[in-house]
Amino acid sequence: MFESLFLYPARLFSKGELLFASGWPVWLLIVACLAIVVGIGFVVFQRHGANLKGARWIVIAGLQALVLCLLLMMLWRPALRVTALKPQQNVVAVVVDDSRSMMLKHDGAAGNAASRVAVAKALLNDGLLDKLRNRFQVRIYRAGANLERVQNLDAVSGGQSTTHLGAAMKQMMEESASLPIGAVVLLSDGSDNAGGMDADALGEIRRRRIPIHTVGLGAERLVKDVEVVELDTPQRALSDSRIGAAVTFKQYGFQGQKAKLVLMADDKVITSREVTLGEDGVPQSETLLFNVGLAGARNLKASIIKLAGEENENNNSQTRLVNVESLKPRILYVEGEPKWDFKFLRRALDGDRNIQLTTMLRTTQNKVYRQGVESPKELEQGFPETEEELFKFSGLIIGGVEASWFTPKQQAMIKNFADRRGGGVLFLAGRGALSDGGYAASTIAEMLPVTLTDRKGTFHRDPATVELTQAGRDSLMVRIEEDANKNVERWKKMPYMANYQESGVAKPGATVLMEALPTSKGRFPLLVTQRYGRGRSAMLATSGTWRWQMSQDAKDMSHELFWQQLLRWLVSETPPQVSANPSRQVLLDEGQIEFRADVRDKAYNPMNAATVEARILGPAGSAAMLPLTPDSNQAGIFTAKWDAPKRGSYVVEVLAKNGKEEMGRDVFTFMREDGVAENFHAEQNKQLLEGLSRQTGGNYYTPETAKSLPDDIAYSEAGITTRESKDLWNMPALFIALLGVKAAEWMLRRRWGAV
Amino acid sequence: MVKNRYFRALCIVFILAGVAFAFQRGRNRPSFLQDDDAPEPYPTDATEKTEWQFARLRYNSYRQGSGYWGVRGSWSTDAPKAERHLAQGLKRLSRIHVRSVEEVVDLDGDKVFDYPWLYAVEVGHWDLNDAQAAKLREYLNRGGFLMVDDFHGTIEWEIFMRSMSRVFPDRPVIDIEDKDPIFHIVFDLDDKVQIPGIVMFYTGNTYEQDGVKEKWGGIRDDKGRIVVAICHNMDLGDAWEHADLPEYPERYTSMAYRIALNYLVYDMTH
Repeated sequence: MFESLFLYPARLFSKGELLFASGWPVWLLIVACLAIVVGIGFVVFQRHGANLKGARWIVIAGLQALVLCLLLMMLWRPALRVTALKPQQNVVAVVVDDSRSMMLKHDGAAGNAASRVAVAKALLNDGLLDKLRNRFQVRIYRAGANLERVQNLDAVSGGQSTTHLGAAMKQMMEESASLPIGAVVLLSDGSDNAGGMDADALGEIRRRRIPIHTVGLGAERLVKDVEVVELDTPQRALSDSRIGAAVTFKQYGFQGQKAKLVLMADDKVITSREVTLGEDGVPQSETLLFNVGLAGARNLKASIIKLAGEENENNNSQTRLVNVESLKPRILYVEGEPKWDFKFLRRALDGDRNIQLTTMLRTTQNKVYRQGVESPKELEQGFPETEEELFKFSGLIIGGVEASWFTPKQQAMIKNFADRRGGGVLFLAGRGALSDGGYAASTIAEMLPVTLTDRKGTFHRDPATVELTQAGRDSLMVRIEEDANKNVERWKKMPYMANYQESGVAKPGATVLMEALPTSKGRFPLLVTQRYGRGRSAMLATSGTWRWQMSQDAKDMSHELFWQQLLRWLVSETPPQVSANPSRQVLLDEGQIEFRADVRDKAYNPMNAATVEARILGPAGSAAMLPLTPDSNQAGIFTAKWDAPKRGSYVVEVLAKNGKEEMGRDVFTFMREDGVAENFHAEQNKQLLEGLSRQTGGNYYTPETAKSLPDDIAYSEAGITTRESKDLWNMPALFIALLGVKAAEWMLRRRWGAV
Repeated sequence: MVKNRYFRALCIVFILAGVAFAFQRGRNRPSFLQDDDAPEPYPTDATEKTEWQFARLRYNSYRQGSGYWGVRGSWSTDAPKAERHLAQGLKRLSRIHVRSVEEVVDLDGDKVFDYPWLYAVEVGHWDLNDAQAAKLREYLNRGGFLMVDDFHGTIEWEIFMRSMSRVFPDRPVIDIEDKDPIFHIVFDLDDKVQIPGIVMFYTGNTYEQDGVKEKWGGIRDDKGRIVVAICHNMDLGDAWEHADLPEYPERYTSMAYRIALNYLVYDMTH
């Protein structure tokens, strides 16, 4: 339609430049038009000004002037100047996605049961390729992990296990350096394992001004499918820990139906849950809590059992590795006076085999009772005087002991404990705690997750109940019931606490998980957490949780669970002297990975003078050694790149030495999966393809609209081009406009009696 | 008929003998004890909210209503002077936030669960029913601690165990070793002695009935923690009660305070 009115397709107008081809000055046209408007206006006013009501004469004059102006403009020869590829001198690269997802049905809903790759080949073979060859030299490529030129379409079968469109396009740009590539035609479903096009590749394509025209294959949404989109678990966990696996999934065509979500560890079902599937295409999440068990690498797999009629059952599972560590982190708890929460906190940790609690309790004016010390000498002189002594612990709890009890040096050490050592510090309430303990005016105030009030008398021995905030509802730290909604209700029914402390407002960046609701007045932050330097700090503004234990059945474990989870949070991310991590936990269809080690001395200052080495144990007993080199930009950081050759699980032990002395070692795991990623995000990624076209000056097509592609492709600024001017004066639209304006004028004059 | 007459005469003789014995006993009561029963003034800070409060267990007596102590029930022996004196001592000797006055709790409601430290006196006279025994078991299993005191000899031990064995049928009473933390947590109590009640002023002995040797007993939970501390053949309550009595030997009072503080701090740390 557009083309029949304006002679050329709309895309041409968007790419071209409008001009007048007569060579006469444009100002003359403007002056002439103005003269016409004034002249016609004068004549019409003289003849009809008195007969026509109001401003009707202006309408008549305007229409007459418009006709003359249009005719005048046509005399000036309006034209469209475009840059066009020179016939047969340019190469058009036809790139066909050859990944496994192209074997899926093109569009089951529309009745097209052919595979996507078959549709692509049919589209090319049924004329598109010939039309392109009529004008250009055509080269055919197939894209998988890399770009590969093929002689004909028979070599494209949809058999490759991976797609890296970004890498393929980048390779194409490298080839274009020696070839006059005028345009790229990409036939793909947009499924990309590397997460799309990176900025570098896109920048390079833009610089070369090569338009990428995309032809989208596959349905934009599947008809009947359930997909496990993500499985989020911690990379590390302490043995015997209760952790959460957050499973995100979406579905098409099964809204409202029940499905079974199963979590397996090392091929054994450890927990399952029935879920009700939500709206089509909308991701929903469920968190499954489980005990990770004994130390070792744990292979976790979250699956949704296949539903009847599912199109793609290969995307119903996700797998992750969790490294269960046999560490026994130590927590030092300093308490200023005997209190019931001290006793019941200790009892709560009795059931935790992994956390070692060492306590210092001021029982009398001059006596400190120590429990959980490693030797009779440990802490004999009181709170640690050196960083080396304090930094042996992974967590620190400061109970009702006044800030002034710590020397300025010890206060600085406490800050460094979280900031530099990366430990967790928990502040509890009490007569000598928080504001009442003078912490607001101390240097320690900086690390608290709340801004303390500067008045005393904030500790109240009055009952207060607990309510979870929105962040608390989402947090696993305060999850004492597996189901999130039941957990909220459970907390509402918990016995009241024996006391609470007014603490102040949470600092920006801090997270309030629980609030205390005293029976007397208001509500106050109860449990607040925040990151602090390399570590974290938290405040629990009560010392009355013991009632949760004494006022509930002896078999009820909510009190124990709360404290175990809170204290595991406190220490689970505390790094050792040598900590190492992989750049990615799961490698999809590629082996490139980077190892990163953070090496510290005993005072946890970054240390460059170390020898760091990685020992890698791979599938089927394969092994490798790899040195890590210091990062010139970051002190204490050592890195190394490696290529994991095979699919499977890898265990890496990183060892750091200072001369012959071992500084520490750390172990992490990662896995490589091949041929799995293609099963996910199986619907057409139209967003990616459209974006790619838009940003490179190309167009997005469907197989149905791709017929116009050879004509559109001819106009490009890449390759060997020529400038063409296309006349527009003869556009049918202009003649129709002339007739229409003249007809309208005639009708109005008849109606208004000005004939 | 004749038999009845003899029986009545025999009863009269026994009654007269009892009255004479009581009269004689009253006459032997040391004069310094006369003023010791004067009521304690109510502490001015009695309403203060604190971390710890002396909780005295009220129970049904085995001989309630028929014995010498039957008027008030043996559960209230030494009250309230003993606990108020002890409270003053604990305030002075420790950092524990102590309330000056006591609280009386029983095993018929749930109030007992608000007091993780519980004291029961004269348990050689207690008689817990099944529900009360179950409540005490639940209390101890949740984390409560019970200190029992002031019962003497074989008969009172058997009466004590008659109820205690229903609380914990499967947990034995053990002798707490001298090296146990409970005897060293605040004070090193290697020199423990039998703490006598004021009966020693009548009899001249530090023991009562056939309870010649003091017993530092206990019952442990599954984790090995002492949850019931048993002071048999001793009367720490009297030692606290008469702490301000010049005639009561200071070494007994001092030891009784130290034992109480050790037991309490042990409870608050284990």
